[in-house]
Formats: sequence, C-alpha cells, structure tokens
Amino acid sequence: MKKIFSRMGDGSALWLSEDELRQDLRTGTEDAADRGKIGPLSDDELERLFEICAAPQKVVSVEPGQEVVHSFDAGTLKFPLRGGVPVDRLGTVMAHERAFCSDTFEVGHSDYSFKPVKAIIAEERQSMEQIQLNATIPVYYGAMPNLGLYTKPDGPIDNWSELLPMGKVQEAREAQEEACEMAIQDIFFVAEAMHEAGSDGINFDTVGASGDADFLASLLAVEKLKKAIPEIHIEMGMAGEFVLGMHGGLKYNDTRLAGLYCHKQLELAEKAGVDIFGPVINTKSNKSVPWNIARSCTFVKACSEISKIPIHPNAGMGVGGVPVTSTAPVDAISRASVALIEIGKADGL
Amino acid sequence: MSEKEIMQSSIDAILEGNEGKALATAREAVDMGADLVAVLNDGFSEGIRQVGNLFERGEKFLPELIEAAMIMEKVSAIINEAILKDSSVGATKIGTMVIATVEGDVHDIGKGIVISLIKTQGVNVIDLGRDVGTEAIIEGALEHEAGIIGTSALLTSTLNGQKKLEEELRIRGLRNRFKTIVGGAPVTQKFADKIGADAYAEDAAEAVVRVLELLGKSN
Repeated sequence: MKKIFSRMGDGSALWLSEDELRQDLRTGTEDAADRGKIGPLSDDELERLFEICAAPQKVVSVEPGQEVVHSFDAGTLKFPLRGGVPVDRLGTVMAHERAFCSDTFEVGHSDYSFKPVKAIIAEERQSMEQIQLNATIPVYYGAMPNLGLYTKPDGPIDNWSELLPMGKVQEAREAQEEACEMAIQDIFFVAEAMHEAGSDGINFDTVGASGDADFLASLLAVEKLKKAIPEIHIEMGMAGEFVLGMHGGLKYNDTRLAGLYCHKQLELAEKAGVDIFGPVINTKSNKSVPWNIARSCTFVKACSEISKIPIHPNAGMGVGGVPVTSTAPVDAISRASVALIEIGKADGL
Repeated sequence: MSEKEIMQSSIDAILEGNEGKALATAREAVDMGADLVAVLNDGFSEGIRQVGNLFERGEKFLPELIEAAMIMEKVSAIINEAILKDSSVGATKIGTMVIATVEGDVHDIGKGIVISLIKTQGVNVIDLGRDVGTEAIIEGALEHEAGIIGTSALLTSTLNGQKKLEEELRIRGLRNRFKTIVGGAPVTQKFADKIGADAYAEDAAEAVVRVLELLGKSN
C-alpha cells in the first residue's frame, strides 16, 4: 500500500497510509473542537488538508495571488543569536528586506522583555532610528511582557512559583497583581519611547507566558497606549492556545482570563485596541504533523470567523502545526503555512 | 451516606475544592468503618486525577490545583491516622522519588504541578530543583534512597540531560537500582524508549499513573 511521508510533532519521519492520514486529520480537528468548544473542520476542508499533507512535493505553496504578509517575533534574535550568523541588527533587517523579501520585520533586544529595555532605552531608540533610516519595510519593536522578571531574584516581588507549591495561594495572587501593575508601567514607557523613535509598530510577544496576569498586563497596557497615542500600531502574539491560570481570578471587561482559548483571547485583544492578533496553537510532539495542522486550522478558523482585525497565527518551532525542533523542516512548515492560510483563513503569518 | 455515596462525595469534594465537605466525608468514612484504602485510592485520589485532567485542558487553574492538593493532604492525614490505628502495617509512604529539571533548563512550573499531584498519592517526592546537573541528580537519588528518578526538560536543547542521566547511571552500574521517568514539552514516548527511560508521561495526570505503575501500585 502506498505510504505518505510525514512527520511526528517532534520532527521525526513518519510514513502514513491514506486512511491513517485521514484519521489523524479527523481526530486533530475533533480534539480542537472539543477543547475550544468550537466547530470542527468540514469534510471538504479535511479533504483539502489531505491534499496538502499528501502532496508528493517536498515544499508546497499557495496559488499565485493567495500569498499573505508576514510579521515576525524575536526577529533580530534569530539570525545572530540562534543562527550564529555574525551580523548586527541593522544587517539582519537589511538581509530580511533585501534578500528574503520580508514584508515587515521586528527589532528586539537580546533580553527581549520590556523590563530590561527600560534601562537601555536611549540606545534602543538610537538603533531603531538608524534602522528606520535604512529600511523601507515596516519595522516593529518587540518584547515580551514577561511578568516573571518582576519576581525574586530578578525583581522585587515574591515569586509566585515558589509561593504556590507552599500553598500560599492568596500571597501568590497578590504578587501577580502587583507585578501586573509594574509591567503596565514598563510596557507603556518602552512602547511610547520606541514609537517616538520611529517604530512602525509595537509587537507584544509571547503574551500570557506567565499566566493570566501576564495577559491582563498586556491588555491594560494596550488600552493605555491606545488612549495616549491613538495612532500607535500594536500586534499581539500569544504564548499558548489557552491562558494558563496562574492566578485564576483575574478578569478583563468582566471576562475571566484563565482558560480562554484563542478565539476568546482575540475578542479581548480587539476590545483593548490590538491591531493584529497572533494566535498560538501548541504542537503536540507525540502526535503527527497532520494531526497538529488540522488542530491548528480549527482554532485559527474559529478566530478568523469572528475577527475584525487581521489574524497572523504563529507558525514556527513548536506552534501552528510545525514540529518542536530547533530548525523547522521545510516540508512541515510549508504545509502548515498553506493550511493555515487556505483552511484557517489567516490574513498573515 | 452509603459507601458508594462516600466515594462520590470524595471525588466531588476534591473537584469542587470544598475543604469542609472533604474533611466531613473523610471523617464519616472513618466513623462508618468504610474501606479506607479504597476511599483514598478510588475516591479522593480519583478526584485529584480528574482535577489534573481538567487542568491540562485549561478548565481548572493552578491555584485550584494547589488547593485540591492541600485538601488532599489534610484528608490523607485523617484517613492515614485511622488506618494506623487498625493496622500493624501503618500508613507509610509507598515509595520515594526524586525529581529535577535537567541542567541548562530553568523551567519548573510543570515539575511543581507533577510534584503536587504525585505527593497526593502517598509518594515521598523530593524536589532537587531546576537546572540540576546529572551528577547532582544521581547523588540526590542515592542520598534519599529513592526508587524513582523523574526528570523534566522543556527545551529541545536540554533533552540531552535526560539521555546523559541514563548513560551515567549505566556507567556507574546504578541503572537497575532506580526506575526513571521523563517528561517535558519536547519529550515523547519514542525519545524515552530511545534513551532507555522506564517511563514517559505527557502531563501531570499521566505522571501520577506512570509513577504508581513503576511502584507496582497501579489499580
């Protein structure tokens, strides 16, 4: 029987029969539908996903005219830091604009969190200005809210990751609320300064990584920024498919944040004033790439159906159906990208 | 309450995070002479397993998980005390496990959750911390006379720490002395098999089941 080359979510090679591939696609969408309490993909959509996943070509693509724009996170970290290419941030931006034809790009500091940037804001503003003088494409400034940096030993607040295992639930909750307030101030300070330095937008990356307080800080910071600078452009990329309830009781606009899946996260991001939303769907390493792609498309489609702003799902290492490997295999990432655009109706990636 | 109702009440009390109900149910189970081991294993512990599953789905949150684990500790104390009175064996811990996040990896939220849940099953869990070197893990396991070594890795770049532990245990002739269990986002059953770990768990709820299996205490 003919076997179709595929991969597991950890990147290892896998050969599936047609029946096995169809079964993985179906169970993948059913898992998303069950968890997110959303509709599964239709039979037609699953059939198109089958064609994408079973295509014999190593690299697949959308038809001409169906291309979407790309935005980035950790943009200037990937080439010099992860890739080990000895090039500075300006060189990275130029390479992406002039060699890779990137639509946009993002500049970030190696600490990649709003809090540490505060202390070096003058240098960051200078770098942004120089990059803007050289680049034609829109260049964002990006960082993570990273509430963990406000806790001991990195910050002044008691560490809720230590308080919770000791059963000090109330103290852990109060610590998160305190960190949330501090983060809002820092995010506002950095975003406002980088906007003034010429940044075309601010990218909030990995939002919710420290749980529901992290998400709340981001939403409130966006709200504050939009009120002060209505024209500021903000992209928000999430950390996971649902908001981790480290606090459990925090609300934004009367909606409890903990446990919210992508489409519910999107609604709150829109209310706060976000201009582009980046849902994240975690790749399960012990399931196949087709299973993960079907699952990702189901969540992204649920976002696209209700969104009033562009949706740029994260499609990279360990998210959006792409395997959890240091370098994403091109067969898997091209399939995930086409699927997210055609089935998930993503506006960008 | 009948024994069946006691069982259901035990599960519900943990799921609801209702300490008063849990303690009252435990005391009633003791007073009526119910099979206390069954109440603990199939009632309260089942509640904890269900809380773990709901947490994994994003339907229960970390404080609720911690509160459930704390209630479980109090319930276990009541039931273990009653078992001690009636048994010459006593309510001893069913085994000892050391657990660590491997060298180079500072992620420990998941490890903390795993510890909380496994402790509720009567296992003595020693947390060796995060970013722990292979040598320190083995020394910790020897010092605490552990039966199980659990390791966690969240990064593809730190997975090697779990492989290194297996190799070092073999080199030192200690491999048969310990059972090993591995977990973390990039870890798979295939990887566990490849490095020779005894068990793999995808999440905290599964870790409980696998640890009990390794201890020969599964239902």
